[in-house]
Amino acid sequence: MSMGIFISGVGVVGAFGSGIGDLKACLERGAAPLITQGPGPVYRADTSRLEAFVPKKSLRRIDHFSQMAILGAFLALQDAGSPSLAAGRTGLIVCSGYGASQTTFSFLDSVINDGDACASPTLFSNSVHNSAAGHISILLKLGGPCLTVSQFGVSVPSSLLTARQWLHEGRADQVLFGAVDEYCDVLGYCWSRFFGEDDMGIMTPLSQERQSAVPGEGAAFFLLSKDKQEKSGYGAVVDIRTGRLEGEAADFPGGEAIYFLGADGHKDCDRLYRDMTPSGIDAACYSPLYGSLPVGPAFDMAIAALSIHEGKIFASPESVAGQERYRIIKEPSAMAPESIVCLKLAKKDEYGLITLKHG
Amino acid sequence: MNLNEELKKIIVKDLFLEDITWDQIEDDAPLFGEGLGLDSLDAVELVVIIQKHFNVEIKDMDEGRVAFQSINSLASFIRERQTS
Amino acid sequence: MNRSAPVAITGIGCLSAAGMSLGENMASLFSGRRRAAPPVRFSSSHPCPYPVFEIPEDALSNNAPENKSVSRTCRLGLAAAIEAMKDAGLEAGQFAGLKAGVCIGTTVGSAMNNEEFYRDYRSGMHPDMITIERFLQGNPASVIAREFGLTGPCQTVVNACSSGTDAIGIGASWIRSGMCDMVIAGGADELCRVTYNGFISLMITDDLPCRPFDRDRKGLNLGEGAAILILESDRAVMKRKTHIRAFVLGYGSACDGYHLTAPSPDGRGLTKALADALKESGKAAGDIAFINTHGTATKDNDRTEIKVLREMLPHVPFVSTKGYTGHTLGAAGAIEAAFTIACLEAGMIPANAGFILTDPELGAAPVVENTRIAKKTALSDSLAFGGHNGALVLGIEGV
Repeated sequence: MSMGIFISGVGVVGAFGSGIGDLKACLERGAAPLITQGPGPVYRADTSRLEAFVPKKSLRRIDHFSQMAILGAFLALQDAGSPSLAAGRTGLIVCSGYGASQTTFSFLDSVINDGDACASPTLFSNSVHNSAAGHISILLKLGGPCLTVSQFGVSVPSSLLTARQWLHEGRADQVLFGAVDEYCDVLGYCWSRFFGEDDMGIMTPLSQERQSAVPGEGAAFFLLSKDKQEKSGYGAVVDIRTGRLEGEAADFPGGEAIYFLGADGHKDCDRLYRDMTPSGIDAACYSPLYGSLPVGPAFDMAIAALSIHEGKIFASPESVAGQERYRIIKEPSAMAPESIVCLKLAKKDEYGLITLKHG
Repeated sequence: MNLNEELKKIIVKDLFLEDITWDQIEDDAPLFGEGLGLDSLDAVELVVIIQKHFNVEIKDMDEGRVAFQSINSLASFIRERQTS
Repeated sequence: MNRSAPVAITGIGCLSAAGMSLGENMASLFSGRRRAAPPVRFSSSHPCPYPVFEIPEDALSNNAPENKSVSRTCRLGLAAAIEAMKDAGLEAGQFAGLKAGVCIGTTVGSAMNNEEFYRDYRSGMHPDMITIERFLQGNPASVIAREFGLTGPCQTVVNACSSGTDAIGIGASWIRSGMCDMVIAGGADELCRVTYNGFISLMITDDLPCRPFDRDRKGLNLGEGAAILILESDRAVMKRKTHIRAFVLGYGSACDGYHLTAPSPDGRGLTKALADALKESGKAAGDIAFINTHGTATKDNDRTEIKVLREMLPHVPFVSTKGYTGHTLGAAGAIEAAFTIACLEAGMIPANAGFILTDPELGAAPVVENTRIAKKTALSDSLAFGGHNGALVLGIEGV
């Protein structure tokens, strides 16, 4: 595993709750978590657990976007056994599809409501994409390399490449790697304009008939290292690929790999998964448990790590549409997966593939 | 409501001060550094707050530094600017 | 940080308010020409019109025709990429068999902050969704990849003001690891009313043309532009028998962990970024011809940056080129990398525009006239919001 990276801790925040325990419980229920209504149904994340890690005073000017990321980061570290982080040797990577969108619009509110001279500097500095990474680095007193990436649906595989680079070229001994996206009313409005009103709130990914995506928000963080982690049991990321498919056939691995498909109820993209996933394989799809968001692949990666840890594949929610060319796993399987391929096919032509294996 | 009280309430609300109520802020306590623990980002936010609520402009942080010593100094700065 | 092999730079493209090509930019820099003026494309209600370094629309239209389906940031990036590809002797379709990726730094280019759309939405109108569609199709790295038919990894770096530096450093690591044979690496950012208001609200903008390192400096001026470097592996260089302009010798990245908008006074992040970049390059302070600084002309940046440079590279001449381009945010690190290489090639660095009086608190002065340099290696560094710091060691030895 010459360029493998090992996972020693996972921290997740979403509508399913916070922490790997809540994610596992949600997977075992197979049930969609609580959906709260915005202009339409939304999978919202709650960050109240953050106060167990960071005093409220320190969260004073920190927005929901950054708070989700901070909570994800602390949960990942806690899950890893709260290792000491050598400040200058710990890298930090945060990726996001849309960034701190609510704060961006709140900043515009300050301008529109009270004039250019009353633009809020606090809101402006929190609206930049790398604010979450900035806050995390301050709270954890980090001093190593730091990066924020925004690549829409392939933000996760793209930035994971850099995490791997940093570890293997000796730029960092550990990398705290995470992904975060938030919901805001403008996003909900755009959703309704593009896709119409959805009164059902039931995601049916891979279905031919329905546009069923429900917007979600949350964060998923991982503590990564180059060295094997005996204690965690989360396995390793052994392959990361991302790029564009331009008129050529996709060369996705077949064989014994189990696929976690990033299909999330967007009809146009779901069609790609129906056509391009290798035939005859076993696959799962978990997006109804966390919603549709650009950094969805990070949740699939978390579930893959958890599956390796548990030695089983969790059933996909009932609402995931069955397929002809390959099998969607609808009952929990005790089989220890050989490798799990998390596949994301983003609109137009971009793809990302993250393969996990036992360490 | 007198100006000092108004300022304290605005500061607590608009700077999201969690752990203090307006009536706990002393009139002559330092706002920055040790006192309320505000920092440089709060300082520029305070400039905007003063502009918005009192229509008083603070041109640069040299002016701001003097005005922001305490609630008392801020109140007298505003009064002075509003009458001139 | 381990010592790493140099990564070849085979083509460069650059546009800013100082010029629509790298050559035009360097002509402005060496003639001391600069033009800062109130923004033309948008207005504001500030009593004072803070000057900016804006690219005139007719100049941009010559290089990158108006295209409503693509953001201005992407137009800038594409124009720089076209110049860089031409410089490298590359044409679309020449990438068969080569793994080619794109790594671009930006700030505005990834922000969904269209004010017109939001105002209409807020007032209950139903705005045209083309703005949103343009945003969703407008990821700078993806746009460039699509334009040239590249199928390798795409990464848009949004590390605020160090994005351009970081994108080049990351692109170089993709080459070294064998993941890519070629990387289009750089940065692009457009001037925008939202960031204009944002920086003014932070009280770090100057109402005069900026004065990096000057005793009386009051802050930055915003600018816009793009720069692209074509990075290639040894394999690609040999296959194409292309010339090499320069090398990426080293890259360092480190965060302060101090404050969201102010650099740490001890400059610890910058110190580490510079040290790591030098270590990776195998070069020492004595090998460095000059430093292309971040030099935004804010009180805090210039103070912290000079403190660190005086400690680490005490006798090395330094210059800020932001006096000619303004602060181009996500593009800055890439534009400055392009300038750094051009200066090494010319054997000269330009005067630091806007500097008149030494600040006793800084205790150092940039070059005040065009200055000859003999060494073949230079440093370019960037300090960003969020406390990020990036540094590149660039060299022309052995080209």
